[in-house]
Amino acid sequence: MTVTVTVRPTATEGPISAATAPTAQPIVLDRVSRWYGNVVAVNDISFGVGAGITGLLGPNGAGKSTLLHMLAGLLRPSAGQVLIEGRPAWRDPTIYRRIGLVPEREAVHGFLTGRQFVELAARLQRLAGPAAAAAVALDTVDLAPAADRPVGTYSKGMRQRVKIAAALVHDPSILLLDEPFNGMDPRQRLHMMDLLRTMAGEGRTILFSSHILEEVERLADGILVIYAGRLAASGDYREIRRLMTDRPNTFRIRSSDDRRLAAAFMTEPAVFGTELGDDRLTVRASEFSGFTRIVARVARDAGVRLLEVAPTDDSLESVFAYLVSRR
Amino acid sequence: MAAIAIVTARALLGRRRTILMLLLAGAPILLGLLIRLSGRGARPANLEPTLEGLLVSTILPLVALVFGTAALGSELDDGTAIHILTKPIARWVIVVPKLVVAGGLTAAMLVVSTILSGILLGGTASHEIAVIVAFAVAIAIGSFVYVAIFLALGAATSRGLVIGLGYALLWEGLLAGALPGTQLLSVREYIRGIISALAPAGTLTSVVGAQGFVAAVLALVVITALASLRLAAYEVRASE
Repeated sequence: MTVTVTVRPTATEGPISAATAPTAQPIVLDRVSRWYGNVVAVNDISFGVGAGITGLLGPNGAGKSTLLHMLAGLLRPSAGQVLIEGRPAWRDPTIYRRIGLVPEREAVHGFLTGRQFVELAARLQRLAGPAAAAAVALDTVDLAPAADRPVGTYSKGMRQRVKIAAALVHDPSILLLDEPFNGMDPRQRLHMMDLLRTMAGEGRTILFSSHILEEVERLADGILVIYAGRLAASGDYREIRRLMTDRPNTFRIRSSDDRRLAAAFMTEPAVFGTELGDDRLTVRASEFSGFTRIVARVARDAGVRLLEVAPTDDSLESVFAYLVSRR
Repeated sequence: MAAIAIVTARALLGRRRTILMLLLAGAPILLGLLIRLSGRGARPANLEPTLEGLLVSTILPLVALVFGTAALGSELDDGTAIHILTKPIARWVIVVPKLVVAGGLTAAMLVVSTILSGILLGGTASHEIAVIVAFAVAIAIGSFVYVAIFLALGAATSRGLVIGLGYALLWEGLLAGALPGTQLLSVREYIRGIISALAPAGTLTSVVGAQGFVAAVLALVVITALASLRLAAYEVRASE
């Protein structure tokens, strides 16, 4: 399973040229922006997504849903082009033969049974055997036993799965999922991850959004990090993990002798500066993992006992902000 | 199209909405029953003003508004329509079954109400029956035109219900009756035209006359096409 995530390195470069355009990739965004009045939801984003699982990671409100809706032809890009298998997604219902969309909103008519809902999707896809296709899709998401119950009686996780069954019923080559793990319990989450891995193994292109790093890390081969409407980082998750952890960081330390420890830290190249407070020492380090490797040694050599070491700025939000500032 | 029609019908016939609409559409029948029970016989003179004032001018636009906006606009707003929109089908294939179901439901309720209340109010003399049939036919056609307008409004804006109510009350209710030129763009006037053409002479006078039929069919086709075009350019509302 290979994933290629192609991104222009800087926003100042021109659009993807014909020679370098990753036309073979099923999903291509070329300098795409979307604004609502004065509010920019997506800001000049370009990337291509190939087969395999790609995670669209970013905090709530970063522009993930706007991006997915543009990919699904449900929003017009204000600028740039969104291509699905080489064709613009906007105003072309034929893309839905190749796309399956699992929207974040739960809205499904509660009076339909799971089977009726998935069969409706199969009929609208004009499949030859809608009942059989629906049965296969329901089985795939492990919902066969509850298929004849009204969707209104389903749990949140079951609704998520029935939506996935409906999105899968026509065997699409591209699957777009908006926050697919929301509301699922850990067991359902694992099952869903297995399911997505299996489908990716069959050569599908799967793009899912999430605001939870751990979900993306466990599942995705490639990651696109979105923050404030911009593409903050992209590529292999290990690389992004390293970027996220190896960033300047501030630590709060309590020890048996803060003053002596501060002096010891000042000889370390990984430390920018220290600041003595009433009952604590604040240390600014050049990178997260580098500092965590030296802190114990420095304290031991100085003969100081560490009582507490805590990063002060470890929210995902600040990680995203840092990634954006690097670009 | 059948699949969309069936789901639309089941969604529209939710218990509370159906009871409310049956009560609204049935109000003239109740009025006729009360008049009969009070010991008075049929009053043919009351027939035409009641059918026109109550059914054509008030109840028809309101029932069409509720069914028309619920059939598409509400589904777009609550997100259930996404599952139909993300399918490889032309947008008119979504609009037409919704028009048929919502228009059919409106027409069915209103036609039954017209016939029953008409007989209770006007009796069964052949002249009155001819008037009632003319009203029933015109109201049935008008149901589909009104519903098409409210479907298009639902596709165009998330405030379809409010704008539709404003249109029904202000345009159809006040302006189109008061200003001569506006009558040419009034569904109510088309309905009156069809009635005047079908009913015995002297029942109603209408600016558009028999051309009301042509105008209604034309409006139906044009508005359905506009609703389909609007839906083809539909953008999800309430994004991030």
